[in-house]
Parts: sequence; C-alpha cells; structure tokens
Amino acid sequence: MSDVERMPRPRGLRIRHGVPEVIATIVLLLAGIMVILPLIIPWFFVFKTQLEYAYHPWSLPTRLYLNNFRDAWKSVQLAQGLMNTFYLCFGAIACTILPSAFAGYVFARYKSVATEIVFYAVLIGYFIPAQMVLIPLYKMSVSMKIVDSIPGVFLPISAFGISFWALIYRSFFRNLPKELADAAHIDGAGHSATFFRIMFPLAQPATMLALLLVFIGCWGDYMLSLVLLSDQNHFTMQLRVAQFLNQYGVSKMPKYAAAALISAAPTVILYLIGHRWIIQGALAGAIKE
Amino acid sequence: MRDWKRPAFVALWLAPAVVFLVVFMYYPIIETFRLSFFKSSGFEQEVFIGLGNYAKLFADAEFLAGLEHVFTWAFWSVAIQIPLAFVIAFSLTYYANKFTGPLKAVFYLSNVLPSAITAMLGKFIFAPRFGIVASLAEQFGWKWLGSIDFLGNPNLAFWSLFFIATWAYTGFPIIYMMAEIEQMPRELREAAELDGATGWRFARSIVLPEIAYPVRILVVLATVGSLKLFDLPNMVTAGGPYNATMTLGIKLYNEGFLKWNYGRAAAVGVVIFLLSLVFTIAQFTRGRKASEAK
Repeated sequence: MSDVERMPRPRGLRIRHGVPEVIATIVLLLAGIMVILPLIIPWFFVFKTQLEYAYHPWSLPTRLYLNNFRDAWKSVQLAQGLMNTFYLCFGAIACTILPSAFAGYVFARYKSVATEIVFYAVLIGYFIPAQMVLIPLYKMSVSMKIVDSIPGVFLPISAFGISFWALIYRSFFRNLPKELADAAHIDGAGHSATFFRIMFPLAQPATMLALLLVFIGCWGDYMLSLVLLSDQNHFTMQLRVAQFLNQYGVSKMPKYAAAALISAAPTVILYLIGHRWIIQGALAGAIKE
Repeated sequence: MRDWKRPAFVALWLAPAVVFLVVFMYYPIIETFRLSFFKSSGFEQEVFIGLGNYAKLFADAEFLAGLEHVFTWAFWSVAIQIPLAFVIAFSLTYYANKFTGPLKAVFYLSNVLPSAITAMLGKFIFAPRFGIVASLAEQFGWKWLGSIDFLGNPNLAFWSLFFIATWAYTGFPIIYMMAEIEQMPRELREAAELDGATGWRFARSIVLPEIAYPVRILVVLATVGSLKLFDLPNMVTAGGPYNATMTLGIKLYNEGFLKWNYGRAAAVGVVIFLLSLVFTIAQFTRGRKASEAK
C-alpha cells in the first residue's frame, strides 16, 4: 500500500451522495451534540437559586444570577489548583525534554557497545506501568523529603516519560544529516556546543511534540498527585475537583453545575485554541501508551 | 584532545536520564518485587512471608473482582467502543463535508477533559434524585426511571461507569481510524464505487480489512487501558457498590494508602506488571505473525 501515492482528499473532486449524506450528517451532528450535552445542560441550572431550581429545574434562565459561580469558584479553589497544575506541567516538561534529548543525541551520534546497553536499559522503562512502582515511589519521596511538593510529583512523572522521549529523539537525531555535526566540529565547536547550537534547534519538531504531549499528560494526571500530595495548598486542579466531588453532592445542583462549568473551562478553552495540534499530537504519540 | 573529551561527554550526557530512571524507576521496580514478599505497613518491622501476600490476594473478593473487571472491561471496550468508533470514523470520512472538521474536534473533546471533570459530569448525569436522568424522568412523570440508582445499584454501576467511559474515551479510536482511512488511496474508493460497492459494503469489505492493523493496536490499547483503570472508577464509585466497579488500580490504592498494607499493595503491583508483560508479548507475537503474512 505504501508505494501507491497517498492523496489527501481533493476537495473539488469530492463524491456527492445526496440523501444518504444528508441523513448521515444529521445523525453525526446529533451524536456530536450528545457528546457536548453534559457541558450544555449545566447552563439551565447555573443562573438559578437553589429554591428556583427546586421549583423549575428545566425552565430557561431568566436573569444573570452569578452567585453560584462565585460559590463554586471558592469551593473548588480553582485558581490555586490551576497554578499548581501549570507548575507541574512546566516542571515535567523541563525535566523530561532535556535529559531525553541528551540521551537520544548520544544514542544516535555516539553509538558504541556501552551506549547501546544503556539504550536498551532505558527502553525497559517504556514497558513499566506507573501503578507498579507506586508504593516504593511514595516511601522514597517520604525519605527524600520531596513528598507533598509539586517537584515530588513532576520528577517521577518525568522519569516515566524519559524512556519514550529518548527513543523519539534518538530516531530524530539519527535522521539528521551527519555532515552538519561534522562541519560544526571542524569549525572548532565542542561536543556540547554542536548540540546546543546546531542539533537541538534542528530537533524542534520532536521538542514541540514532547512539549505538547507532556503538558497534556500532566494536565490530566490524577493518580500520582493523589498519592504524593496531601497538603491542600499543593493540590492540582484535578485534586481540587475531586475534593469538591467528595464534599458536595449533586443535591445543591446550581452550585454543582457552576463548579462543573468552571472546572471544565480551562481545558475547553485550551482545546478551542489548540485542538488541531492536540489531535495531531495525540495521533503522533499513539504508540506511546 | 578530543579523545578523552568524547567518553566524558557521553557519560555526562547520559547521566541525567540514567539518574532519573535508576532513582524513580529501576529501584522502585526491584523494591516492589521485594516488598511483595513481606508483611510491611511502614510502621512496624517488615516480616518475610514468602508468597503470603499473593495467597491472601487470590482469596480476596475485592482483588478477584478487580481481576475479573480487567477482562470484562477490556472485552466490552473492544465489543462496543471500537465498532462504535469505526461507524463514526467511517461515516465522517465517507461523507466528508464542511461539518467533518468541527465534528471530529467535538468527538475528541471528551478525551482531553481531565478525569476528575469526566467523573463530575458522570455524576451530574447519573446521580440519584438530582441527576439529569432522574430529574428529566421526574419532569415527564416516569417514576420507574426516576427511581433507578444508576451508580448505587450493583447490577447497574458497572454499566453506568462503562457508559461514562465510552463517552469519555471513544474519541481517540475515532480520530485514529479517521487518520488511517484518510490515508487510503483514492483509487480504492473510485474502483469500489465503479463496482457498485458503496456505503456500508465499501466499509465492510474494503475499508475494514485495510485498517485491520490499526484496529489491532486499538484492541491492545483497550486491553492495557483496562489493566490500568483507576481514575474514573475511583472518583465516580470508588470501586463500589459491592465491588461492582472494583479495579486492580483501586485495590492497589486501597491496600497501600487506605490500609497502609504496603506488602499486599506491592503484590497487586506485581500482578499488574506481569499481566501487562503478557499483554505486550501477546501484542508483539501477533504483530510479527501479521507482518509475516504480508
């Protein structure tokens, strides 16, 4: 199949289907609405007081009553959760990308028996489920005194990512023309200068992908933060929302609905801006799981 | 000059990755195996008990429920989510029009929502009395529907959770299959069209065989995913009621961090590791057979 020319769908030559296409499109649109319905329904409730909700849950909102949002914002503590989540994401990005790029570069350009052995050792990490190491990880971060801090979460997260990204960087650096590095060497650049000035900038596509996927991974992390964080001031957005779920039931629906909308908002906004990259990145990283 | 610099450079540049992996991966792996043979609570002296933890686990209803759900969850994911994703992905690409792009983005949206928010929306729909289903049932006077406790009834909790997961996770198979179908050569479509194979026949006899390998990858992902299932069931039902939604991940968490029974939790971790190893090897051998067949 690979030798046949793969063409993107040419728009002008699109085959038209008439009635079946219309029906299929309508069904798909309905399915799409089903998918976002849980984010639409809350709008019925958020502008009502608890009393108004009790009498007319499904009536259209009549005024802009914002107390539910204010209450929900306070209960979820979303601002602080978001700050911690961003800290977590950027910490993990920094600690994943540099060690992976270093290692991938050495595996690709300084190949020897020793580096090959290290390469296969690094690759093992790719097959280890994070749950397997949860207990020792917790015990260790207690004794290393990094438990209950954001770095205590992003350091192990980075370790889980390094295997995969070292592999990606290795194949990326291998495909760059060797002459580039040789030329730099002849010009007197040292090993690290060659890497930083020439090779690493050329690996930008890999770096952008790593940036995106590590960010998304940390953004959604729940298990490691749950185990490693106990002080509420360090809670990530996920833990804040989970905490809200434990404390408040659905019985106070207007507030709950407001909390759901507020909590989903940052992700939805980021997705609206970057859904193309996010989808492309998810496809490129599909082999990761 | 450069002769001694080169090995120094190699060592120095491998060091960060190696240190990370040794500290946060290799040492914990060995420690998990060691702990699984000990009675250890973190507070008292550790006692070697051989396979005691494993023996206890395989007589433990919670653990066995979790183990069973690895397979039932994987089975239903493959039986329901993947065919559903195929129908949607095929229709979206076959009837491509100006709605296709936005719809693709909409279908993937639920995948990027963090699991706590998925859990929140799941409870919003299924909670008894105040949830959306119950509230709508009351609105229409359907008492029978309003009185169903979707998350609290042991017979329904698994399916309610599976419904939420289907909503949350089907987006990925959709975009993955769409990407594969869009790469198919256009000639295939035109030739099929001339032979009168349109619509569903085209999907079944030409598209499906063409994307058999990606579908197999999705099957493996679903299997490994159900092995690691933790976030959603832990937040929505916490494994209950009566272990109806128990998973190995929740069992590990409960043993380790609610009962402080490190040894037993480590044993669950070893079971998860061994099962994922089996699944991975199965994936590779099947993958090799497929490529040999080509």
